[in-house]
Amino acid sequence: MRGFQYFEPETLSAACSLLAKYKGEAKVIAGGQSLLSMLKNRLLAPDYVVNIKGLSGLEYIKERPSGIAVGALTIHRAIETSPVVGARYPLLVEMEHRLAAVQVRNWGTIGGNLCHADPAADPPPCLLALNAIVKLKSRSGTRSLPLEQFFKDYLESVLAPDELMVEIFIPNLPARAGTAFIKESVRANDMAVASAAAVVIPNGKGAKEVRIGLGAAGPTPLRARKAEKTLVGRCLEDAAIEEAAAIAAEEASPTTDMHGSDSFKRQLLQVVVRNALKEAGQRAQVGRAR
Amino acid sequence: MSKYSVIGTRLQSIDATEKLTGSAKYTTDISFPNMLYGKILRSPHPHARILNVDTSQAERLAGVKKVVTGKDTIGKKQGVWRRFPDLCDEEILCRDKVRYVGDPVAAVAAIDEDTAMEALSLIKVEYEVLPAVFDPLEAIKEGAPLVHYGVELNINNTRHIEWGDVDEAFRRCDHIREDMFRCSSQAHACMETHGAIASFGYDGKLTVHTGSQSPYYIQVLLAEMLGLREGDVRVIKPPTGGGFGSKFELDSAQFCASLLSMKLCRPVKIVLTREEEFTATKRRTPMYYAVKLGAKKDGTLLAKEVRAITEGGAYTGMGATALYLTGFFSSFPYKYPNYRYDGYRVYTNTAPTSAMRGFGAPQATFVGESQIDMMAEDLGIDPMEIRRKNGMAPGYEVPGEAFIGSCGLHECLDQIEERIKRRGKLPANRGIGVAAYGFISGGIFNWFDTPYAFSAAMVRVNIDGKVDLFTGAADTGQGANTTLSMICAEELGVRLEDIRLHVGDTSICPPDLGSWGSRETLMNGSAVKMAAADAKRQLLEFAAAALKPNIVYDLDIKDRWVHLVDRPEKGMSYFDAVKAAIRGKDGEAIIGRGHYSPHRKGMVSPAFSFGVQAVEVEVDTETGQVSLVKATTAHESGTVINPIGIEGQLEGALAMAAGYGLSEELPIHDGKIQNGCFRDYKLLLAPDIPETEIVEVETYEPEGPFGAKEAGEGLTNPTAGAIANAVYNAVGVRITDLPITPEKVLKALHEKKHKKPSEA
Repeated sequence: MRGFQYFEPETLSAACSLLAKYKGEAKVIAGGQSLLSMLKNRLLAPDYVVNIKGLSGLEYIKERPSGIAVGALTIHRAIETSPVVGARYPLLVEMEHRLAAVQVRNWGTIGGNLCHADPAADPPPCLLALNAIVKLKSRSGTRSLPLEQFFKDYLESVLAPDELMVEIFIPNLPARAGTAFIKESVRANDMAVASAAAVVIPNGKGAKEVRIGLGAAGPTPLRARKAEKTLVGRCLEDAAIEEAAAIAAEEASPTTDMHGSDSFKRQLLQVVVRNALKEAGQRAQVGRAR
Repeated sequence: MSKYSVIGTRLQSIDATEKLTGSAKYTTDISFPNMLYGKILRSPHPHARILNVDTSQAERLAGVKKVVTGKDTIGKKQGVWRRFPDLCDEEILCRDKVRYVGDPVAAVAAIDEDTAMEALSLIKVEYEVLPAVFDPLEAIKEGAPLVHYGVELNINNTRHIEWGDVDEAFRRCDHIREDMFRCSSQAHACMETHGAIASFGYDGKLTVHTGSQSPYYIQVLLAEMLGLREGDVRVIKPPTGGGFGSKFELDSAQFCASLLSMKLCRPVKIVLTREEEFTATKRRTPMYYAVKLGAKKDGTLLAKEVRAITEGGAYTGMGATALYLTGFFSSFPYKYPNYRYDGYRVYTNTAPTSAMRGFGAPQATFVGESQIDMMAEDLGIDPMEIRRKNGMAPGYEVPGEAFIGSCGLHECLDQIEERIKRRGKLPANRGIGVAAYGFISGGIFNWFDTPYAFSAAMVRVNIDGKVDLFTGAADTGQGANTTLSMICAEELGVRLEDIRLHVGDTSICPPDLGSWGSRETLMNGSAVKMAAADAKRQLLEFAAAALKPNIVYDLDIKDRWVHLVDRPEKGMSYFDAVKAAIRGKDGEAIIGRGHYSPHRKGMVSPAFSFGVQAVEVEVDTETGQVSLVKATTAHESGTVINPIGIEGQLEGALAMAAGYGLSEELPIHDGKIQNGCFRDYKLLLAPDIPETEIVEVETYEPEGPFGAKEAGEGLTNPTAGAIANAVYNAVGVRITDLPITPEKVLKALHEKKHKKPSEA
């Protein structure tokens, strides 16, 4: 690890000022679960590190009329064990259960995870499928954008050098919506080799809306928009799901690495999308009863 | 009175509290006044000639105290195979050329680690990049780049083992199989990376603190490489965070820290980073195997012929021993009347391969146990039956190689078979695979050319009854400290808390070859037992004088009670006996001596442990993922000295060996290891480890202390083979190439599904 100057700002505005001052030369650290390994492996060597973990007021899960707002500094474990999240977004609890080890979940923050923009991370595909909106703050103001527009490239987001993520807003799901997260990884609680989150919003016996988030499926987490479209208005029976899963796998662009070839990963993506859709469909009661 | 009062009881490890509270001081925790920090510059090329090393800029950096290169050494090459100078091929600081990505070129000592790191970036090395070769099958071809000058076809070492008439026997076989296998590499992945603090003083003496499996080897090799007398090198081994075969050769941290310290007369500390640990230390030997196996219709195995080509990497290390042992263990644990092995260890421009837990046997066992299942299926014989029919038994001689004394293989087979039957019919895509195995209890190899006994111990009984035990054994976390103390306490007739152990300092402990080849319990344990018996004999001389028994009675000590063996109520306190004895010896403490070297025990090991493991897996046919459901191991290691220790060994071995079977490998691209970190190197973690059951089969090994044998490495042998057989039994695909990754399983399932009916 190379040496750097270290700051622990006491307020959000002080943090924003530091980022504005050292524009581009500073990195933000919160739980440190992503940044520390980047520093140790010298993949990053910032001159300044701004620790925002101590900022108050960014660690919360608040119910709002149209959804829930999660502070960016909320740790994974808080999301996993929150009764509010459990009741309204079981998808996130399902996802957090398998995110690394409990020690990591006790330190890592949801905002830090998203800002690291790792395509193999678990929260992005789920939050994409939930249509999450992220709130970004800098000294010059605040902006909100759909998470889908947040990821730019491998480990890159649209976050400006002087911006901080402050909140993730998750809109309400309709009453009978079914959700599921399926991950394939080398070990039980490991980074995904392929993952998919599905949200199925039913309308009678068919699907009114289907959303599919993909993880480890290319340089960024992404929505399988084409696959989603094929299912709108349809009953989620095996053939329809199979067709959509195949399309989703085509939408992805996984790369060969030591954990598998691109073609193997595409096969896995097809499996995780299929299984996520089946599970979510069943939970939304639009699939065939098994 | 029960037979033993210490042995076989469940006692807390003597160093557990220190380790669990974090108060144990490992090498990395230690620092000395005036200490400097060292870093090593390593080659970025797999093969290159060093044209020039310019250290001037680095030397000018503020805080840098010394930079050394190959030119600062005395120009020797080292290796543990000292009887064979050709196999001592590693300079550590390269003078002429580098042979793998990670080969050391220079080392820096500076006031802190960051300065040392920065200095590395200021060293200018001019290389002439040479063509490189990575795969042993390529390296062995005519015209391939030569990793070492003058080593034709890159053949580093060959081994041949043969008995019977193999060719004639194959003609008598009803069925012959010929199969190819590939075994992958594996990292030791010790929690503690390699590290050393070297302190050379103006008195001309060098002291090195370093985690090690063999302080004695390091002492001797450092002396040789630095031009010092053995006696002027003192190696102190603090608690060591794992070895698994990686820490009994001289390493770059030990050598570079010592060289820098000698130039500066200041302590220098070098601790390797995790990345260096993965990419620039040694690793398990990858092997290609071609195996021919012949049997009679009834399942009698008549002949086996094994050819292995192993990826040596850049240097010999302990790889020549792995080459022999994989050949020897390819006959295990069966009574082949005719057997032939030819092994070739081939140099390549990759990180050197060497010893790792199991030492060639996990590879041999994966191959052998896969193929014997294939043979059983061809012949329509139950896999347990074919193992029983051919399995080794007590008193068997491996022709010309080894004598099998105690052997509980058949009892282990019975135990496992019974447990498999109890599982009943399995759900779809579930399967159970078995593998039988054996292992050495220490090697009878002396290529290191030590003139000392293989193990030695000294016991001193003090006036308060406290017993000082001095021995050169090296505990690397496996529990030797506790096991040896238990042996001492039992033999002397005292309690575990009466023993004060002195280990890990070459200046006060008698030499021991160290903790490798699963040798400490049998070899060091025998020396400890002998030393304790010697001390006890001296105590009993005085006790006999005090108790005045009829001459026909034997005296003994048990649980601090000196007594007549046949009339245990008649006796005296151990403490009184000690006081009487010391007084009687004119105030001299009682000193007992013991040593052990194997004699007339063949060429391999004085004793062998055996076992059978069953692993149940579930295969996801959509993703190829193999999940472990349950693992049951019937193991026999003679008398169990330390039951908690054995359980720890077995559970740890299962995690390590299942990782070898399923997820651990070191992929190399253009000579570079691709996954030098714990994120990408997939060690199995707690949630991946299934329920494990251990069945301890008791045997008695006359050569071992109290009848004990090894329980360290053998347990890593069966798992990869058992998993391969379980996968086959679950979904009908045979993976012959480790590790058994989901991608390989999925591909095999796909091929099986699309096989033409005529081939099915």
